[in-house]
Amino acid sequence: MVVAVWSDKLIMLEKTKDIAKQILEEKKSDGVLGLMKSQWDIVQPHVFEKPEELDALVLEPKWLLAKLSMSILRSSPEDYRLAVICRGCDERALIELTKRNQIEKENLLTIGIACSKEQAAICLCDRPYPAKLDAGEIASGVDPFQDERVREFLIGNDKKRMEKWANVLKRCIKCYGCRNSCPVCVCEPCKLEDDVWVQRGAVPAEMITFHLIRAFHLSDTCVACGACQEACPVNIPLLYLQLSMRKTLNEKYGYEAGLDPERKSPILSDFLKEPETGREYPEWINSLREKDGH
Amino acid sequence: MGTKFIKTICPYCGTGCGLIIKVKDGVAVATYPDREHPVSRGSLCIKGWSAHEFIHHPDRLTSPLLRKGDAFQEIPWDEAIPMAVDKLRETAAKYGGDAVGGLSSAKCTNEENYLFQKLMRMAFKTNNVDHCARLCHAPTTVAMAQTLGSGAMTNSISDLAGAECILVIGSNAAESHPIIMGEIYKAIDRGATLIVVDPRKTAVVQNAKIHLPINPGTDIPLLCGMMKHIVDENLHDEEFVKARMEGFEELNEFLQLWSVKRAAGECGIDEELIRNVAKIYAKAKESAIIYCMGITQHACGTANVLAICDLAMLCGHVGKEHSGIYPLRGQNNVQGACDMGALPNVYPGYQSVSDSAIQDKFQKAWGAELSDKPGLTVTEIIGLAGKDIRAAYIMAENPALSDPDTSHVLESLKAFDFLIVHDIFLTETARFANLVLPGSCFAEKSGTFTNTERRFQLLRKAIDPPGNAKEDFAILCLLGSALGLDFSYNHPGEVMEEIALLAPAYGGIRFDRLERKGLQWPCPDSDHPGTQYLHKDRFTRGRGLFVIPEHTPPKELPDDDYPYYLSTGRMFAHYHTGTMTRRSPFLNREVEEAYAEINPEDAIHLDVKDGEKIKITTRRGSIITTARITKRVSKGCIFTPFHFTEARANMLTNPVLDPVSKIPEFKVCAADVRKESQDD
Repeated sequence: MVVAVWSDKLIMLEKTKDIAKQILEEKKSDGVLGLMKSQWDIVQPHVFEKPEELDALVLEPKWLLAKLSMSILRSSPEDYRLAVICRGCDERALIELTKRNQIEKENLLTIGIACSKEQAAICLCDRPYPAKLDAGEIASGVDPFQDERVREFLIGNDKKRMEKWANVLKRCIKCYGCRNSCPVCVCEPCKLEDDVWVQRGAVPAEMITFHLIRAFHLSDTCVACGACQEACPVNIPLLYLQLSMRKTLNEKYGYEAGLDPERKSPILSDFLKEPETGREYPEWINSLREKDGH
Repeated sequence: MGTKFIKTICPYCGTGCGLIIKVKDGVAVATYPDREHPVSRGSLCIKGWSAHEFIHHPDRLTSPLLRKGDAFQEIPWDEAIPMAVDKLRETAAKYGGDAVGGLSSAKCTNEENYLFQKLMRMAFKTNNVDHCARLCHAPTTVAMAQTLGSGAMTNSISDLAGAECILVIGSNAAESHPIIMGEIYKAIDRGATLIVVDPRKTAVVQNAKIHLPINPGTDIPLLCGMMKHIVDENLHDEEFVKARMEGFEELNEFLQLWSVKRAAGECGIDEELIRNVAKIYAKAKESAIIYCMGITQHACGTANVLAICDLAMLCGHVGKEHSGIYPLRGQNNVQGACDMGALPNVYPGYQSVSDSAIQDKFQKAWGAELSDKPGLTVTEIIGLAGKDIRAAYIMAENPALSDPDTSHVLESLKAFDFLIVHDIFLTETARFANLVLPGSCFAEKSGTFTNTERRFQLLRKAIDPPGNAKEDFAILCLLGSALGLDFSYNHPGEVMEEIALLAPAYGGIRFDRLERKGLQWPCPDSDHPGTQYLHKDRFTRGRGLFVIPEHTPPKELPDDDYPYYLSTGRMFAHYHTGTMTRRSPFLNREVEEAYAEINPEDAIHLDVKDGEKIKITTRRGSIITTARITKRVSKGCIFTPFHFTEARANMLTNPVLDPVSKIPEFKVCAADVRKESQDD
């Protein structure tokens, strides 16, 4: 079995290399952004510009490239075209970025690869593959709300959950890593650098004004890639903060960030045109629900 | 030219996190975390994320500068190097080699530190080489060498996550070593107990199960009280003590002086709490002690570290995984600068300059006559400026801000006959130089840094130094060659090969072996995989030694004239003398000006509101700074970070030294605080 898994991965890698080589040979893009394994097994992001370089291409570990793609495109000449080897979440982030005019669609090519079942389990990912799949086989995803730790943080006794969140959020060392690594966090100027909301020079960063502003800003753009959580030095489960909002958008509006390049977020569009008007308050908005009772 | 990503190591604290620098057209434009790095694993703190920001700052030195009266004039390298060499030689000829002093740098690589001390020792036959380790962990090197035989962190950073009990004493890791704090949280999430000893309510304290807010400078009473209780209740590891230790009888006799009651009285902590903490620490299967400047920067710094070692050894919490003693080293390469012998009493690998066999070895290897007389320390080299020390070469150190009692330091810096400062910015110290040599920052050179867990790591050159600035390695080679030494190295890797030949603990370190994850010393030969934790079956010195930690209270305590305790330290957004961080826009935005923390009750008493100016005065001098009113400090205590040139904390600090390690007492002195009237 192990052999089979490995050979599947090898087939996916070789196929990806072939596609990337072809793109460079046919000059469909000026560079291919992916992971390079150099001498001594060092893996790092790299812009491959020559087909022969691609022998060093690898696909592991999970290393999100959407944000790097945006930064490369922005600092390159207008006609620079970049192909990006991307996983499902990376592709969805890139779609969000093009929707929000952060990337010119014409300058971007994606080479979609599938994640393994194991990777999906680690990421709590329910869609471990890109819409445009170029290499690899689709593995089954997981429902994050079945995860025990997620349930501890998101479901059940409000007071207990509040305590749990307060306990982890007070660890924050204000590295801004969650913001810096988030592929779809692009506002300028950033609210987290606004004195009205976030006090300078103080750690930990405030729970409401730092963490919840960040979470809500991303409520309809978050693609649940987990970059924030992976960058967090103090193990705050930042991805969980987004899951409820993602779920609600999905259940109430049938909307999921990064899927449909043409569809606007329900938060930005006319509510009346949405399939459901969202009159019901989502379960997790506890304060509003209480008001209803009055 | 395209975009390149270069893996390298963070230039700030001793954690040694992995960075990826994004280079576009020869410019370092962004920093990303390295997902594959063995310590930081894809995370960084705010300083790490901002590491590229100061690199291209317009203040960077781009040419050698020669003092002409009050101004500096740019000169070419082929004038600068001969001038430096002539002046140093002249001084040595006139006053002897011991009239030359050198401050090497914990910011520079191992190879540069090796060359620096080799140059001083060979060219001037002096051991007057030291660096800022004197101001941070000198007591650690002394005390841990005495008790365990090796002055370095016993275990590895990743070990912490598996500890059952973590005792943090005098470390604000959440701000000063944030990535290590992450490992502590991992341990907590697995059920570990975090106990924090700190007079301040730091961010670490806020996440602790038990906080012991001891009176400043009473660490020894607390630790002795704990040990007394542990021995009385038979909570110590008797087997371990019997099999591996010596000196228990003497320690036990000494502990008779320290009843828990007496300890409680001295440190202001409830007796029961001391007993409880002692029990938790002793009984846990694996307990780790983390300590930092709160322990070392005292006039009894060495004894403080001895007490920590005694406690750990008494309970058998050394020599196994997930336990041990964790001195958190401050600078990115302060471990390495010590390892490389940038110290006045040892050659690379902690080999004593006074040992004739060692002296022979180095004389043969280097082909020069060497001195067996230990040299002077940082504070002595500066303090004896114009007297015993006539000329000095300071590489990437900033004593004008970092050393205690600034007024005296500034006087001293003026007193040298000739001062050479080699740095990347015109620092407060460089302003006093006769000759300034423009060096390179971390992104502009190759070499190795050794982090706080003894890990040699490869620094990879991402860009060229600006203008006519040179790689530090190249500058040292030019100086060495001009002094007639055989410094014809082509690459830092060749220097490492020489180090490996001379220092047995680093015998297996080669650049190509460091590429992937680095190597933790001891690594004696080229097949050795490195060492995750020390003292496994035997201590480096053979048996572990209990050494009696004699308590001396802080040399200057509050009195009627100076009624407050003043403590100094770091905060999360800035680093040391601020040379780099204050030139990083994102970090500077976070904290733009100096401040002092003051308790709300004291603020009422002084009629000071948050954000108002206050004047802090000690027997050394005074500064004006901004009050930050917070319960992080207790009543009667004030805290101010030392990063700010406009309000230099070290104008205030007491230069009294620990007699053994010569570390100054930065952590406690007596101060007066007044509201500064606005119209002044």
